[in-house]
Amino acid sequence: MRTILYFSSFILSLSLLATSCIREEDMDNTPQGNFEALWRMMDERYCFFDYKYEEYGLDWDEVYERYAPLITPDMPTKGLFEVLGNMLAELRDGHVNLYSGYDVARYWKWYEDYPANFNDSIQRNYLGFDYKIAGGLRYTVLDDNIAYVYYPSFSTAVGDGNLSDMFNELAFCNGLILDVRNNGGGLLTNANKLAARFTNEELTTAYMCHKTGTGHNDFSSPEAIKVKPSDGIRWQKPVVLLTNRSSYSATNDFVNAMRQFPLVTVMGDCTGGGSGMPFSSELPNGWAVRFSACPVYGPGMEQLEFGIEPDIRVDMTSEDMARGLDTIIEEARKYLNR
Amino acid sequence: MKRHLFLVWVLVCMTLHLSAQSRSEGRNYPITRSTMYGLGTMNLYDTYLSPVEYEGVQARVLRESSRTMQWCDEKVSRQVLFQGHVGMAMNRAETSNELSGMVNWNYALHYNISLFDGRLRLLAGPMMQVHGGFIYNTRNGNNPAQAKLYTNVAASGMALYNINWKRCPITLRYQVDVPVMGVMFSPEYGQSYYEIFSLGHTEGTVHFTSLHNQPTMRHWLTADVNFRKLTLRVGYMADMQQTSVGGLKSHDYSSSFMVGFVKNLRIID
Repeated sequence: MRTILYFSSFILSLSLLATSCIREEDMDNTPQGNFEALWRMMDERYCFFDYKYEEYGLDWDEVYERYAPLITPDMPTKGLFEVLGNMLAELRDGHVNLYSGYDVARYWKWYEDYPANFNDSIQRNYLGFDYKIAGGLRYTVLDDNIAYVYYPSFSTAVGDGNLSDMFNELAFCNGLILDVRNNGGGLLTNANKLAARFTNEELTTAYMCHKTGTGHNDFSSPEAIKVKPSDGIRWQKPVVLLTNRSSYSATNDFVNAMRQFPLVTVMGDCTGGGSGMPFSSELPNGWAVRFSACPVYGPGMEQLEFGIEPDIRVDMTSEDMARGLDTIIEEARKYLNR
Repeated sequence: MKRHLFLVWVLVCMTLHLSAQSRSEGRNYPITRSTMYGLGTMNLYDTYLSPVEYEGVQARVLRESSRTMQWCDEKVSRQVLFQGHVGMAMNRAETSNELSGMVNWNYALHYNISLFDGRLRLLAGPMMQVHGGFIYNTRNGNNPAQAKLYTNVAASGMALYNINWKRCPITLRYQVDVPVMGVMFSPEYGQSYYEIFSLGHTEGTVHFTSLHNQPTMRHWLTADVNFRKLTLRVGYMADMQQTSVGGLKSHDYSSSFMVGFVKNLRIID
């Protein structure tokens, strides 16, 4: 009997050792519960509070005080969506979204309030219809022996073979215009793969960190992001990189890397920014949420969230547009032919 | 980091050492092998992917091998379990899915005590566990999945009781396994897999686990019913895997009804 008693005690002890449950925190699927969950999610996980406080005085606690009275227990779903969307817009971040089944709340003023500086009909006058395609890249050779390469999205993959073949095709050109206007981002691996074709030495182009806790200042030590030179064909002639306000997210990081290479000149408008890698989450009612979680800084630990200024500022003029000319491409050609 | 890797190394060495001993010393003893298949429910929660719990169904397969060893007057038995399960779950609002897959390998040595003329056997001892798997959220962007990789030293206890029901011999078993300490891979609170695997920023991804941050247990009930030369095994498993490391909380609660067959082998020199 003593053996059974000891054994029972052993089994009971094992079970008691692990009795505590790790469950989700209480979150009511009510307008108030969803509001609280969203506010707290941002408060604990969003990565630019201090920077945005310095830039335009964002105070997330004050935002709570201002929006909480707008939430009522019987408010309609669409009303709740509008209030929550407006609250997220206070962050002034294109990477912050709220997704319901019928709409996406977004903040797009980072390009809506600025000149487009891109017209795909006019771009067609340069790219033509017989342009070549290498992975996600479209390219041609302009009349003055300048290569023109357009990368509309870093979400579209490009392979090392694509890049080597393309640069081999363009090897006889005097210079290269690399156009990333209206490129809203995508995969950083594609951006790094392309950037690696423009440097002959390994360079620390940026730093990245992530949140380690729920406090606004709980960040890991910044770790270097390096661009290593590609083993394939590397471009050794002058490059003009064209940007506009819609060059966003991974494109912003790409421009940040490219601007540090000696043969590269950035021309056009300021980029749109978006330097925080976004994470996804959700609310108790099932709406998806996206927010900036991991900040990327420049090589001097400067913020890139609100964009990168070009080396040479050029806007498309209405006169040129009326003549079917892209002012920024024309200025880039002049620069490369000077 | 180095301390954690050293701990893993010690655990692996311990397992290999015990395994080598069993190969060289226990060749004349019966081996019991079984394969069971199960279906059940699961509840997934991983704050790296979502702050809400997902519920769904899972399928499970379990292979078990056990044998008596020569040591300690044949009072030590070895148990090897290999288990795998896949499942699909949905959030309460039914707007998103998560898929999960997990395999685990367990090696246990139990000390046996026989009571009531051998009708009751009580077993207790250490168990080595290695787990690997994933949870994939079909809606997320840069954090679509969470990898699961951890190893534990667990305490394991088992009770076996033989009865006869209408002249049919039945062996009832209850087993509980509770990890006591181990090592786990997990990203930090807001760390992306891009940082870990593309940039090689791995610091802070290996965590020491124990009862305070991994209150996990597995309960298992089986009944072996003998029909002449055939032994049918039916069972129920409640598997509660839980962690709270690096500011991230997760659980995988599952309960499965299982059925399979048992093979009794004997190797003779």
